[in-house]
Amino acid sequence: MFPSGRRVDRSTALFVTLLAVGFLIATFDVRSSGDSITTVIRGGAQTLAAPVQEAIDFVVRPVVGFVDGISNVAGLSDQNERLEAEVRRLEQRLRETSALERRVAELEAINDLAPPEDLATVTARIYSAGASTFDQIRLINRGSENGIVVGQAVVDEDGLVGRVDLVTRSSSRVRLITDPLVSVGVRVQDTNQTGVVTGRGDDVLRLDMFDATQPVNKGAVVLTDGSLFPPGIVVGFADETKSADVGFALRTTIDPAAAFSQLDFVKVVVGWSPLDADPEADDSLVDAPSFTDPGLGRR
Amino acid sequence: MTSGKTIIALGLVIAAVLIQTTVFQYIRPLGYAPALGMLTVIALARFLDPEQTLFVAFTGGFLQDLLGGSPLGLWASTFTVVAFIALKIRDREIAGTPIVLLGVFGLTLIGQFTYVVLGTLFGQGTINRPGLVGHLLVPALYNVVLAYPIFWLTKITVRPPERTWVS
Repeated sequence: MFPSGRRVDRSTALFVTLLAVGFLIATFDVRSSGDSITTVIRGGAQTLAAPVQEAIDFVVRPVVGFVDGISNVAGLSDQNERLEAEVRRLEQRLRETSALERRVAELEAINDLAPPEDLATVTARIYSAGASTFDQIRLINRGSENGIVVGQAVVDEDGLVGRVDLVTRSSSRVRLITDPLVSVGVRVQDTNQTGVVTGRGDDVLRLDMFDATQPVNKGAVVLTDGSLFPPGIVVGFADETKSADVGFALRTTIDPAAAFSQLDFVKVVVGWSPLDADPEADDSLVDAPSFTDPGLGRR
Repeated sequence: MTSGKTIIALGLVIAAVLIQTTVFQYIRPLGYAPALGMLTVIALARFLDPEQTLFVAFTGGFLQDLLGGSPLGLWASTFTVVAFIALKIRDREIAGTPIVLLGVFGLTLIGQFTYVVLGTLFGQGTINRPGLVGHLLVPALYNVVLAYPIFWLTKITVRPPERTWVS
C-alpha cells in the first residue's frame, strides 16, 4: 500500500494524534460554552477572513444577480400576472382585516408590548454563510463599533431572522432561528397563547405549546413574546390547524416569515435588551426584605 | 516534505473554504452546496505525502470550523478522517475516471456522515435534522460534478508524483 511499513506507522500515528487534538478542541469549545480562548480565536479568524470574503462577495453578487435576472426573464410575464392577481387579493384581505388590526393593537396595548419599529436598529449586509449546509449562520458587516453585542435580535422586512452570537469589531455572526440550538419565546397573535419556537435545521420551525387551551389555526401569525427577543416581531405562520395532542401540550410546524435563502440586508435591533422585558421583576431583586429597615436597601 | 508544496496546498484549501462560505451562499441547487473544502483535500491527497496531506486536511478543516457555526475541531477531525482514507486507497491498483469519481462520491459521503456523527456526539443534534439523507448525498453528488476542475487545479498547482490512482 505504502512504500514502507515505517511510513504507514508515521502517518497513522499523526492521524490518531490529529484526531485526538480535534476531539480535545471540540470538547473544550463545547464545555466552555463560548466564553473562552476559542471565542477569541474565532473572532480573530473572522476578522482576518472578512475582507477577503467581502471582496469575493462584492464580485460574485452582481454576477449571480445578473444570471438570476437572465434566467428569470422568461417567467417575468407570468409572474407579473400572478403578482397583479396577488395584489388584488391582498387589497381585499387588507380591507377585511382592518378590524382585526385594531384588535391586535388593543391586545398589544393591554400586554404593554412596544412595536418593533420603534426600536433603534443597525442595517447590515450579509457577506457570508456557513461553511456547510449544516450551518445555520450568516456573517454580517457590522460589529461592536456599530453598537452590536451578543444576543441582539436580527430582523429583515419580513420578520425575525436570528440572533447575534459572535461579535468582532467590524463583523458579527448571526445564528438563524432555523438552527436547532435557537429557541424563541412566542405568542400566537389571534389567541395570545404562548409557546416556544425551535429551529429544525431546515426551512420549517417547530412550535411547542404547553398550555394550549385553543387550537392553532392554519396561517395564524406567530410573534415574539418579548422574553429574549423584542416583542411583536413576526416569526412565522402556522403550517396547519392543530389542537392540543395530550392534555394542553401542542406541537405543530411554522413557516418562517423570513426567506432565509434570499437574505441580503438585515437589521440588528440594538435598542432593546432582554432586561427591558420585565422591569418589575428587576426591581424586586433590589428590594430589601420587609423585615429590615425600610430606609435601607431600596433605590 | 517540501514546505512550498504544503503552503500551496494550504492556500488551495483556504481558498476553497472561503469560496464555500461566499459563492455557495448564492448557488445552492435544491438547497444544498458542494463540500468544496473536502473535495480539495481529497484531490490533494493524490499528490502530497501522507503527513503533508493530514496536516493540510486538519488545518483546512479547522479553518472551516472557525468560519462556520459548529464547535471547533469537528470539521478538522472530519477532514482528517477523509484524508486518511483517501491516502489508504490512493495507491491501490485502480484507475479510470469512473473509479475516481466513485471514490470522490464515497469519500465525501463518508466525510458528511463522519461530521453528522461527531456533531451529534458534541450536542449539535445533526442526526435528527430533517432531510439528513439529502445533506449526506447531494453534496457528494455535487463534488462528483466539481471533481474534474478541482483535480485539474490541484494537478497544475501541486506537482504530482507518479500515483496509480491518478487516472
